[in-house]
Amino acid sequence: MAHVSDFLKPSDLQRISNLQVLARQVVEGFTSGFHRSPHKGYSVQFKQHRQYVPGDEIKHLDWSVFARSDRYYIREYEEETNLRATLILDRSGSMNYAGTSAGGVTKYEYATKLAACLAYMMVHQADGVGLTTFDTAIRSHIPPRSRASHLRVIFDELENGRPGGETDLGDVFHELEAKLHRRGLLIIISDCFGETASFLKALAHFRHARHEILVFQIWDRDELEFPFKSWTQFDCLEQAGAKHLLDPAMLRQTYLENLAAFRDGLVRGCRRHNIDLVPFCTDEPYANALAAYMTRRLGRR
Amino acid sequence: MNFLNLVMVGGVTAAAIPIIIHLFHKSRFKVVNWGAMHLLAAVVRTNQRRIKIEQLILLAIRCAIPILLALMMARPMWQGAAGLRGDQPTSTVVLLDNSYSMAAGRAGTSNFSLARDETQRLLGGLPRGSETYVFLMGEGAGLLDESTRDISRVTEALDKEGAGYGVARVPAALDFVAGTVGNMTEGPRQVVVLTDFQRLSFPVTEDELLGQALERLKALPFPPGITLWDVGPEVTENVSVESIEFSKLMVGVGQKIQIRANLRNYGETARSDLRVTMKIDGRAEAPSQVALGAKAGGQVLFTHVFDTPGSHVVEIETEGDELKADNSFLASITVRDRLSVLLVDGAPGTTPDDLKGETGFAQIALAPFSAGNVEQADLIQTTVVPVEALTAAQIGEAAVVVLANVAALNDGQLAALELFVQQGGGLLVFTGDRTDPAWWNGAFGSLAPLPMESLAEGLPEGAPAMGIASQRFDHPALGIFNDPANGSLSDVAIKSWFRLKQPAQNTGPGDAVIIARLDSGDPFLVEKSSGEGRVIACATALDSDWSNFPARPSYLPFVQRLCVYLASNIYPPRNLQVGEQLVGFLPAGSAGGIAQLTLPDASTVELAVVGKGERGVAEYAQTRSPGLYTLQTPGGDPIHFVVNADRGESDLAKLTDSEIVALAEAHGLQLVRSAAEFKALDKVRRYGHELWKWLLLALLGLLFVELFLQQKFARGRGKA
Repeated sequence: MAHVSDFLKPSDLQRISNLQVLARQVVEGFTSGFHRSPHKGYSVQFKQHRQYVPGDEIKHLDWSVFARSDRYYIREYEEETNLRATLILDRSGSMNYAGTSAGGVTKYEYATKLAACLAYMMVHQADGVGLTTFDTAIRSHIPPRSRASHLRVIFDELENGRPGGETDLGDVFHELEAKLHRRGLLIIISDCFGETASFLKALAHFRHARHEILVFQIWDRDELEFPFKSWTQFDCLEQAGAKHLLDPAMLRQTYLENLAAFRDGLVRGCRRHNIDLVPFCTDEPYANALAAYMTRRLGRR
Repeated sequence: MNFLNLVMVGGVTAAAIPIIIHLFHKSRFKVVNWGAMHLLAAVVRTNQRRIKIEQLILLAIRCAIPILLALMMARPMWQGAAGLRGDQPTSTVVLLDNSYSMAAGRAGTSNFSLARDETQRLLGGLPRGSETYVFLMGEGAGLLDESTRDISRVTEALDKEGAGYGVARVPAALDFVAGTVGNMTEGPRQVVVLTDFQRLSFPVTEDELLGQALERLKALPFPPGITLWDVGPEVTENVSVESIEFSKLMVGVGQKIQIRANLRNYGETARSDLRVTMKIDGRAEAPSQVALGAKAGGQVLFTHVFDTPGSHVVEIETEGDELKADNSFLASITVRDRLSVLLVDGAPGTTPDDLKGETGFAQIALAPFSAGNVEQADLIQTTVVPVEALTAAQIGEAAVVVLANVAALNDGQLAALELFVQQGGGLLVFTGDRTDPAWWNGAFGSLAPLPMESLAEGLPEGAPAMGIASQRFDHPALGIFNDPANGSLSDVAIKSWFRLKQPAQNTGPGDAVIIARLDSGDPFLVEKSSGEGRVIACATALDSDWSNFPARPSYLPFVQRLCVYLASNIYPPRNLQVGEQLVGFLPAGSAGGIAQLTLPDASTVELAVVGKGERGVAEYAQTRSPGLYTLQTPGGDPIHFVVNADRGESDLAKLTDSEIVALAEAHGLQLVRSAAEFKALDKVRRYGHELWKWLLLALLGLLFVELFLQQKFARGRGKA
């Protein structure tokens, strides 16, 4: 059975425990604590009364019961969150790349750690979190829940999933959209490889359904810098048999320019749809990258 | 193309390194499981073909770089087809000018010693095992008999050589060595001509010959590289004794002879009182003085009376100048005790000295002092014998036999006479009324210079008698009549003569030569060589029957000169030119013995005396060195031979620098003026031009190109 500590080191947890995951737009739903909601109290489902014990917040005292029975009772609610976040994890073959500078960590491993971090943090804040994994199609879909036991389901799925197959973000996202009944926060963890136009179109679709979208784009340093010197055969991770034997030094410049164009197109598209695109590189500590993003999120609020 | 460091050429194989690296990299490629294939695939798709081409170009350049580097380190030499190769043994022929002009020089060093030193240095510097041959151009012979690989032998032989020979004939020398060069076996061949570029050695008329000789050399299977080496500075001042002339063809004991020395000043400075000394047999006689203008000639006249018969040496010597070889001139003269002339009278008078006899006038003319009872010595001693009484013994004792109006000789007489002429005797034949054309053209035909046609006589009364055509006489016997002071043949009136058949136009050696003609064009005096002797025939009679000749003043010198001329046939000659064979006739008794020949350098050689006919013969062919050669037999008198070089050498005028350059260019020859120049030329010829600098430039260029292309290709793809 997987455990939180398999994915998060204690030091990493220490770094992100003080951070808050905040939605940029107000998410419709019930809220609790400092989460603001336009439908205040509507979503709070009464669960039971229980006897007050010192330490409980006084504002949760049911004064009408006190008036009738002269005893202190606390009202307990079914849900306390108004954030329904869905982690959408790319399990395609290209995510299985492990660069030299990342110390053998594949992009997928990095992505699962990142997803675990987010899930843990959200559940810790009693936010609902779900997980969807996909490659050419949706491979698993765990609807958002905020229970602590739900984390284990997510972690099991993260640990057991293996990357493979091609990426087809567009079709998958259209398929996924039908499964997301309530609007919420969609955190896409992917390298976003594939057809950019179709990807952006799918994101626009999500945005149309008023989902908040956060794209964590996972890069390997090798993909960004193309540091290969000697003759190399590049075997395609997604399509068996697709390979190129070449002198990478000869192509580096062109590759980098091609890469820049690709990233530029992605950044422009995301900005157009008011989507945050956050690149992560697998050699940076993911906790750092996450913290940096959260800081920026807070600052924007 | 040669390489100084041949081992490094192996470095060319380093060209394989980039290819190996390329193949190695290609074969030992890394496999990367790549995710961002969509980024890479597009790049590969659009650039694959160009990348391949660019990679090929870069690979080619990278291969060229180690090749160039290896070639550069191998120090390649570029050379022409005729170049020598490295330290490989060579075949070197040196044509060394040792004509006596090379003895001139400045500051006490003769040009020849300069040339010799340079030759020795040149030979010393040849690669081990080189074949060499030194040809001495003045001497016209090789230093050694054949080419050799023993350089020290050549060097030692050269040490003994000096200048002092005749004209250096460059075309002839080149012709001579062409065969030697062709026979030499060591690979690269070169011919070096060391000369002072005396104008005489390179006459304009021989330019074509020189070209032909060079063509022959160049046409050899392995044509040699030919270098002209200008040795030594020009020396202008020189006085030369050009020649010696004797007033008489033959001199007898007690006779006065005039000796005329021709001198020439080749210098720019006039010599006002040049001291000239005559030496007889090495003993100085009274000196004389002569003034010679700049570039002018002059004569000095000496008289001398020889008091002993035999072979004597006359030497005319002037004061010393830079070139000693031509400061004196030697001549060998043979002094006769008596010259016996046998007059064979075909129509004798009643008494021996009867002027009516056929030989009466001639007898007086040949020995006038005896006839006049004067206390002076006649050179010629005459003996008159009627034709019937003529014996072989008489013929053998005479120096000259005169046949006057002889009708016929019997077989024994004729045979004796033929032998006499064959062995160098002189025969003088006069015709007359008894002369029988049938006998002349028949039995006598072998001796008669020309066949007889008919008798020309009976000129019309009152018609002028036939005269001897006036002409300039080239013949030495009649040369005296070129000077009117010595009398003239033109006042001789001839009434009758025999017509001798005109010889064919083209006369070769041994054919009759017409010495003098009559006004009618008929031959008057004809000469023919027969064996070692000579026969002269006259178309008219010796006495006054057919002409008034005996009464003319020219009669005496005429018959005397003819007799002396025939007797002066000192055979073989004793004044020789360089290279002519020296032949001495010795008494028959010495045959089988040894004769000693003293050479000009005072060394002696022993010659075997071979018996030939009635005498011994000693021969010596190596008369290359000018000077006095003395042949001595045990108990016999010495015979002096003088070998003279061509005095043209005395004109030290040198070709101008521009002429020398033009000469070299016209014939495509290399020209050097110093050892340093030759060394440089030799280096270029042997090793060629060094190419490493160019290769280095090319290498650096390629490095830049490689760098540039690499950058450019990367950038170019970036734009694509």
